[in-house]
Amino acid sequence: MLPLSALLLGLLALALAWPVPAVLSRARWPRRDPVAALVCWQAIGLAGGLSIIGALLVHGLSPWGGSLPEAWWAWAQHWFTGELPAQPVRGDHWVAQTLAAVLALELLGVLALALVRTARTRARHRALLELLVHRGVDEVPGVEARVLDSPVPAAFCIPGARPLLVLSSGMVEEFAADELAAVVAHERAHLAERHHLLLLPFVAWREALPVLPAADRAHDAVRDLVEMRADDVALRSVPGPGPRRVLARAIVAAAEGGAPTGALAAGGGVLTARVTRLLDPPEPLPRWARPLAVGAAVTLVLAPTLLLLAPALV
Amino acid sequence: MESLGELERSVMDQLWSRAVPLSAAELRDALADRGLALTTVHTVLTRLEGKGFVRHDDARPRRFAAVASREDHAAELMHEVLGQAADRQAVLARFIGSATPGETEMLRALLADTP
Repeated sequence: MLPLSALLLGLLALALAWPVPAVLSRARWPRRDPVAALVCWQAIGLAGGLSIIGALLVHGLSPWGGSLPEAWWAWAQHWFTGELPAQPVRGDHWVAQTLAAVLALELLGVLALALVRTARTRARHRALLELLVHRGVDEVPGVEARVLDSPVPAAFCIPGARPLLVLSSGMVEEFAADELAAVVAHERAHLAERHHLLLLPFVAWREALPVLPAADRAHDAVRDLVEMRADDVALRSVPGPGPRRVLARAIVAAAEGGAPTGALAAGGGVLTARVTRLLDPPEPLPRWARPLAVGAAVTLVLAPTLLLLAPALV
Repeated sequence: MESLGELERSVMDQLWSRAVPLSAAELRDALADRGLALTTVHTVLTRLEGKGFVRHDDARPRRFAAVASREDHAAELMHEVLGQAADRQAVLARFIGSATPGETEMLRALLADTP
């Protein structure tokens, strides 16, 4: 007999693995409030992992006790005492335990690996940049903007303890001053709000779960939402009467000057979405919508947590 | 006292601009205005070798040369920045990725259509 809490966790995991991400990634409201949507995606990722691993654990350990903490303790002791629980331990219990351990190790391991790998790539880029770039553009207080000699208009930042904001000389020469300010404001928003940390788990889990379409969807949605969020933040510090148009012009100019890619370029479509959003801003969500979304996200994470910690319902 | 990073830049600038292999003593003399000790120059060169920017030959004294030109390094970096690697946006947040030709057309039209 499957414990009810394992069943509920399994159902939650199933919902978070397919229908919920599918609905959220197709919804129109996230572009009206990227912050609320980002909170929801983080909750989906966390709750999804908790519920699938939790479901396997609760089922695997069910012969040892009703609630997970109690069962875990009894299970840990049985390795020393050799006592098997009163209820028979079947093969499927062992399989569930093993799967839970493998999945937990894989998700955490891949995340740790992604952390190490991105840190190493960043360090290599930084070492190279420190030799290549020269101090430039001083109108950006706080963050040092450096100039890299290259005709291709590009801007990027390397997050970290000493963030590095780099503009290509092509961009500095070709772009109008207000467009440049908009680009820098956008990049500074990424740094200030640590967007790389929001994206990293989804990069890692997409690699860990290549068969799961939801992992792909979640990654792409989060990647696009942080861009929209950075646009929103940038608008506050772009000078002039029409900051939206200035930022839109900068995006289009960067797209025109950049190296074109094949028709299947990753992220195709987000540029159009960003520019449309800037030129023809959608109605902001009503005041109650953000608390509602955040409340839903908190509930989503609390539900599997409570199911795991509370004594089994049956 | 200058930071090692600044010294590394100066040494690389010398190696790039002179474009011939230089010994540590020659580098020290080229950077005479900084009053560096020979050991400091060696330290900087060792660090640069460790990072893969400099290599030395087996002559006596050893002469050091840049592994690639400044332009090659810049091009390599831009290639990585603009490349399509899956985790690129998590490693460094670039302003935009690459656009397809069709998308660029569409963006231009969007910009022209709205006042």
